[in-house]
Amino acid sequence: MARRKRKPRSRQKLQRGVAIIALLALLAAIILVAVLDRRVTQQFEGRRWTLPARVYAQPLELYAGQNLSSARFAQELERLGYIAQTPVDRPGTFRRKGDSVDVYVREFRFSDETQPAQKLHVGFDGEAIAALAGTDGADVPVFRLDPLLIGSIFPIHGEDRIIVSPAEVPPLLPEALKAVEDRKFETHHGVNPLAILRALFVNVRAGQVEQGGSTLTQQLVKSYFLDSRRTLRRKGEEAIMAFILESRFEKVDIMNAYINEIYLGQDGRRAVHGFGLASQFYFGKPLAELNLPEVALMVAIVRGPSYYDPRRQPDRARERRNLVLKVLAEQGVVKPEEAARAMKAPLGITDNAGRSANYFPAFLDLVRRRLREDYQEQALTETGLTVFSTLDPLLQEKAEIALSDELARQDKGGRKAARGLEGSMVVTTPQTGEVVAMVGGRRASFDGFNRALDMKRPIGSLAKPMVYLAALQSGRYTPASVVMDEPIEYKLESGDVWKPNNYDRKVHGPVTLVRGLTQSYNLATVNLGLDVGLGPVAKTYVQLGLDEAPPKYASILLGTAQLNPVEVAQMYNTLANGGFRSPLRAVRAVIDEQGKALKAPELEVTEAAPAAAVYTLNRMLIEVFERGTARPARKALPPDLVVAGKTGTSNDYRDSWFAGFSGGHVIVVWMGHDDNATTGLTGTTGALQAWTRLMASISTTSFDPLMPEAVEDRWIEFYSGLETSPYCSGSAVRMPFELGTVLNPSPACPPSTTSEEAALMQPLLQDAPNEAGVTVPADAAPQTSNPP
Amino acid sequence: MLPLSRTFVAVALLAAAGCSLQPFHTQPPASTRPANQGGSGPVISEPPTVTSTMPAEPVIQGPAPSIPVPRERPKVAPATLSPASKALVSQAQSQRKKGDLPGAAGSLDRALRIEPNNPLLWVEMGRLRMDQRNYAQAESMGRKALSMAVGDNRTQSVAWQLIADSLQARGKNPQAQEALEKAQELGTQ
Repeated sequence: MARRKRKPRSRQKLQRGVAIIALLALLAAIILVAVLDRRVTQQFEGRRWTLPARVYAQPLELYAGQNLSSARFAQELERLGYIAQTPVDRPGTFRRKGDSVDVYVREFRFSDETQPAQKLHVGFDGEAIAALAGTDGADVPVFRLDPLLIGSIFPIHGEDRIIVSPAEVPPLLPEALKAVEDRKFETHHGVNPLAILRALFVNVRAGQVEQGGSTLTQQLVKSYFLDSRRTLRRKGEEAIMAFILESRFEKVDIMNAYINEIYLGQDGRRAVHGFGLASQFYFGKPLAELNLPEVALMVAIVRGPSYYDPRRQPDRARERRNLVLKVLAEQGVVKPEEAARAMKAPLGITDNAGRSANYFPAFLDLVRRRLREDYQEQALTETGLTVFSTLDPLLQEKAEIALSDELARQDKGGRKAARGLEGSMVVTTPQTGEVVAMVGGRRASFDGFNRALDMKRPIGSLAKPMVYLAALQSGRYTPASVVMDEPIEYKLESGDVWKPNNYDRKVHGPVTLVRGLTQSYNLATVNLGLDVGLGPVAKTYVQLGLDEAPPKYASILLGTAQLNPVEVAQMYNTLANGGFRSPLRAVRAVIDEQGKALKAPELEVTEAAPAAAVYTLNRMLIEVFERGTARPARKALPPDLVVAGKTGTSNDYRDSWFAGFSGGHVIVVWMGHDDNATTGLTGTTGALQAWTRLMASISTTSFDPLMPEAVEDRWIEFYSGLETSPYCSGSAVRMPFELGTVLNPSPACPPSTTSEEAALMQPLLQDAPNEAGVTVPADAAPQTSNPP
Repeated sequence: MLPLSRTFVAVALLAAAGCSLQPFHTQPPASTRPANQGGSGPVISEPPTVTSTMPAEPVIQGPAPSIPVPRERPKVAPATLSPASKALVSQAQSQRKKGDLPGAAGSLDRALRIEPNNPLLWVEMGRLRMDQRNYAQAESMGRKALSMAVGDNRTQSVAWQLIADSLQARGKNPQAQEALEKAQELGTQ
């Protein structure tokens, strides 16, 4: 003390200055630690992760009589990541033996209940399920499998993850992480100075950064704050935060946080975080079901998800996986022989395309838009909702194949204009109005322009059924009514004169309604539509489910209204549903993180158009396949499958459409060029082909609606509309009429004619009104050509 | 169009019934009412005194008599539920009893996916909509069921009963009465 007093004043001043600075530094350090403590603790304790909504496909329902073979069932199980093995001793495994399958179904939380994991025996009888039984042998009337996870709704450039609890983590994973990344994990206090020194030494010797000395805790902290700058200051902060985490929380919590947090891959603009999602992303199954080589691969990826990307760099990934296995054996985590066996295993990655196998961006886009009507964006991307969608994965896959096969055929075909076409498809179920499949473009798994929703194109002759529906609804027309297919000049408001043409540039004179529609005559349709009135025609668009009626221009009669494929599907769905309108649904149910049911659109039906008129229209649309523009497709369809539909071609062959339905499915197809160039295709030669491919490849039922009361079937001549007998000629067609409709009998062959009489009349019938073109030549079927 | 003409028919019937209106409006016997009425729906008010206020005009303006008598259509066997649907319907019914209406809707959705053309399932869905107090949709479900049960009197009767209940719940008593008539008439055939 005394000596100090003797020090020069300036020295004293300096000392005081140093003391103050030291004090300030200490204060700053305390504040820094406090700030870091707050940050890291908040991050760890609070909502640790924003959880994007998870979207599931519809579950596969199993019940006796379900149209499903044991082979297809096994395929579906594999799609869900179930492993074929004997014995079937844990969830996620199954065994197929001839016509029976034993499956250990996983636990799953549905919107209404949590279905526990359980064993099920499924017996098949050829193409159908014969019986279901539980382990106790008791009959199970109906059972749903856990559904396929098809994606999440995450913010743009956002992190996506599936949170797993410690119980859902295979015990091997934390052991392997410790052995490879952080051997002192159980004992250190957040940092491992020895490891840092060793890393430094190794790095200096190698001349580059090869080994990180970061503990799992440090990696976790680094990942939390998403800043990979390797400055000394960052390192210091990171070490302090790691220390804080360790002093405040249990090891087991830190390990679980690590497993859910760490970055493990990139899927387009989606960052794959956590082992739960990574397991789905790489292997297509839950984390709990990973085996040794799969766990080892995941641990290998941790070090460099891009460098060791098993899809792009399989050799590199395999090498590192085997290194991990070697370390695991050395550390005694697994037996050497287990590791040796695992080293021989394939990587087991789903799909090579660099995308997760079950990725349906167009459909997810629809789900997201529908959810936005009821939910805030933040609720969707952050609060961990579970969304049960209507997607049927099998149908989706078939739709993608049907479209891409047809586009590939056009690429190789003779029409230059039809090469490199784009396309879109929408599939719905008529009675329940569910969207079960959607393809947004040629590359179905490409998350880009969604043509099913974002592209509006003139619908061409898809508009004709609306004209005929308006006519039938007016009560002034029947399928046998005759309209004139003759040139018309329509004065537009602009003063111009509109002169539409038929596709074949011919004039067909008086034609029946059924003929005008099935052969898609423009002039007949325009004359009919103008007589019925543009107002009533426009109104049918709203009846069938559009939000707004198209403008009342005469050209809407020939399909200048521009719609997207989903809107077309909505309208045709109402037709297929017998005039009952059900707003299309993509979401069945939504539950929150706790499993509570939230708002979701309900099944709705509204009687939108008179049953008799819709029934009659639909019967005419069946004839499109028998005698009209869809006839070329008939031979490609199962012979006993009744379907109905309509071709559409827009002006200058820019758009090729087909919309049609069976009893179980409405399918809408569009094909065309993004730049609106001509395709050289009609609805028949383009979209109908893809439509037929799909319809012929799915399990569906005939379109066979019940005839409404007050309607009866009668035979008429297709060309004249006169009532006739089924025995008379090939042109006799059976059509529905309201009871009491007056029809003129055919003089040549009246309704009462028997088969014997008809045989006698054969020579006479040859002269029956029967124009050239009784049969419609394939690929040259009369189409529309649109008004200018 | 249709409901309007029904109203006319109903009004005409009521007019014809004249003083004997009273028994017309009494509740049907309990046995003919569906099991899952629930106690929550609005109670039907006393029948309105239609006779006193009824104008004569509508009777005259009723639908033209030219509508032909429907031909006898072949009778169809009453609709039945498949074992899978039956299990789901009974699950839905117990969910409804517990007040779990979203759960019940989910179960019926499942059944409808399996048998979309089964009118009995649409009636069940309509009953659920009654519980949810969505009476307009309950009626729509009933009409959908009717369209799927042409020639099946028993099922049509059940569907008309649902429609009658949905109309009553909205205070549309004359139409409800007419629907009930149809239900009873078809039920005895």
